Amino acid sequence: MVVDRPLDEAELVERARRGDLEAWETLVRTYQGIAFRTAYLLAGNAADAEEAAQDGFVKAQRALGRFRRGSPLRPWLLRIVANEARNRRRSAGRRERLALRAIDEIRPGDAVPSPEAALVAREDQERLLAAVELLPEGHRDAIACRYFLELSEEETAAALGVRRGTVKSRLARALAQLRESLEEDA
Amino acid sequence: MSSLEQRLQALGRELAFPSEPDLAVSAPATARPFPWRWVALAAAVIALATAFAVPSARTSILRFFHIQGATVERVETLPPAQERSNAGGLGRRVSVREAERFLGFRLLLPPLAAEPPAYLLDGVLATVILRVDGRPVLLSEYAARDYSLLKKSVGEKTHVEPVRVAGQPGLWVEGPPHTLTYFSASGEFRQRTVKIQGNVLLWTHGPLTVRLEGRISKAQALRVARRIG
Repeated sequence: MVVDRPLDEAELVERARRGDLEAWETLVRTYQGIAFRTAYLLAGNAADAEEAAQDGFVKAQRALGRFRRGSPLRPWLLRIVANEARNRRRSAGRRERLALRAIDEIRPGDAVPSPEAALVAREDQERLLAAVELLPEGHRDAIACRYFLELSEEETAAALGVRRGTVKSRLARALAQLRESLEEDA
Repeated sequence: MSSLEQRLQALGRELAFPSEPDLAVSAPATARPFPWRWVALAAAVIALATAFAVPSARTSILRFFHIQGATVERVETLPPAQERSNAGGLGRRVSVREAERFLGFRLLLPPLAAEPPAYLLDGVLATVILRVDGRPVLLSEYAARDYSLLKKSVGEKTHVEPVRVAGQPGLWVEGPPHTLTYFSASGEFRQRTVKIQGNVLLWTHGPLTVRLEGRISKAQALRVARRIG
């Protein structure tokens, strides 16, 4: 009996290594969202992020032969894309300010607080975002990857091109700095 | 996880990220259907005669710009143009490799996460659809040999500006609808004029004439052009 089931990641990677473009497209579509958002937070603008993600996937496809079988693909891809994004930030030197999504973009399933509570929560988030924006670049990137994108510590380390221990120490220092600046504001 | 860490995580979910581009390069079936259909058609430009062989298609020419395989002329009145054509669109869908075999030259493409399909018209001109900041843009290429292959007519309000792409001459055409006139490559004298709403960057790359067309800014077009090759 032939069972038609979706291919798992290892099978897709294997096929992509053998030159199966459809398998590679499936992998690109699976990870393009998180790759683009990571690139956006690191490069600082949408155009550079798109280029970084695109170039990163091209490089990844070419390097598939060197990808270690059985390893998770996502951190490996994020490392390549994030490296492209960081290079672009260095050359461009410009960054768009992060913003909260408009209130009318609340997604279905979101909790709906009272208008007053929503306003307070919004102000609180704007204050927190402003404090994050003031962090030194390395600390801000660590916060963005670990909490905004909810990457694991290992993925954060891959995206930032540093050791896991460095991620831990940057996060600890960034959190301390944020607590301090939020207390000062209060 | 501390309360601050939870707040940061919640903040991340509220961030406004730009819309995610399709890095796998979607085929036209999944691209926006209209108005790109006729824009796509217009990109499939083939001509065997020079633009000036068809007097009925033009009015007084005020000025013209010429690069290798294309002529852009500024006219008092645009020639009558179709909003759309029923004559074939972009051509036959083929792989990039197949298109290159027919054309006899390597297609110039920017780095792409996955190889897009190519559309081949009359075995002379190839078009691929790129995504630039989320918008579909047509990249068309043809070898311009000894004659002008394409004529674009623009009104007074359309901005035409000489530019350079990687040191090669090019033209940036921006503004209200302009028209494009082309001929069948089969040797028949068949003229079609279509109306173009998007902006166009034309440039040369060795013996090739390359054009990008879509609703993109000059900066976006130049950025893509620099990545091609």
